Amino acid sequence: MADGAAAQVELLKGVIGKSTGTSKVVIERGPVEHFASAVRSTSPIYHDPAAASAAGFDSIPTPPTWPFVMEFSGKFAEMQSGDAPSPHPLSTVLGPLLAGGGLLLHGEQEFIYHRPIVVGDVLIGEGSIIDAYQKESKGKTMTFMVSEMNWKDEKTGEPVATVRNNLIVRA
Amino acid sequence: MRTMGEHKLSFDDVAVGDEAPVLTHKLTRTDLVKYAGASGDFNPMHHDEPAARAAGQPSVFGHGMFSMGLLGTALTDYVGIGNLTRFSVRFARQTWPDEVLSSKIVVTARREEGGRKLVDLAVTLANAEGEQKVVGEATAELPGPG
Repeated sequence: MADGAAAQVELLKGVIGKSTGTSKVVIERGPVEHFASAVRSTSPIYHDPAAASAAGFDSIPTPPTWPFVMEFSGKFAEMQSGDAPSPHPLSTVLGPLLAGGGLLLHGEQEFIYHRPIVVGDVLIGEGSIIDAYQKESKGKTMTFMVSEMNWKDEKTGEPVATVRNNLIVRA
Repeated sequence: MRTMGEHKLSFDDVAVGDEAPVLTHKLTRTDLVKYAGASGDFNPMHHDEPAARAAGQPSVFGHGMFSMGLLGTALTDYVGIGNLTRFSVRFARQTWPDEVLSSKIVVTARREEGGRKLVDLAVTLANAEGEQKVVGEATAELPGPG
């Protein structure tokens, strides 16, 4: 038991700082429109280029939580560098816990915006694990994995957004 | 360089303690299906009732990121699209179909930093009984007068 716990601590320490790979995404109008509607925005700015322009944008902007989902619709396979680590550090830690019946929870989510993300942007994201730790709570072991993705503009290299999330497995 | 977003609220019109208009919404299963399709999160706990019950849940439940997205809409309705510099939350409780969710956004600080006019906001999403689902904070950069 104690040996297992020590091995777990070493495993967690070992993934801190590890890269989760690079991602390239294209921001397209259709997915942004559907997402804005899914989060119940009624603003015409997400739908109408003239409304976006009147509000001062060069192109249709994206809702605040868009960076969390933009890889779903805009990460095309042929554009990727193929540097995703294998095995992925998240699955190295969480995989065995989930396979053992652990419950995956989304604990915290943070966005830092350096400029608005708009339709037509091409962004490069670099991901890493910034923290990994365990806590005991009510007889359960809570394993926390904090990941960060730093997005920049492909053309200018300027920072665009930082996305951090804290995933928890209760096992 | 930062481009300024939609002009809805001026820095000079904001005071600490101000509250944004409340966004209220009764959660439906259709919301969850729509959010799943728009986000790519197809975890069956959010759309497959038999699977959710088999996992010991009373029914399907909302995506945490749907709740955060709803708060994001309440925020941009108040400060204008494209003006947030930070938005951070903790997911406290699950949300359930038929719950009436309401946003609460309160101005906690008003400050100038390197020529930028910033407001800090405390944000929560709670059900009709006042049970908090999502708790967090945000910062927006607002245009000055004129």
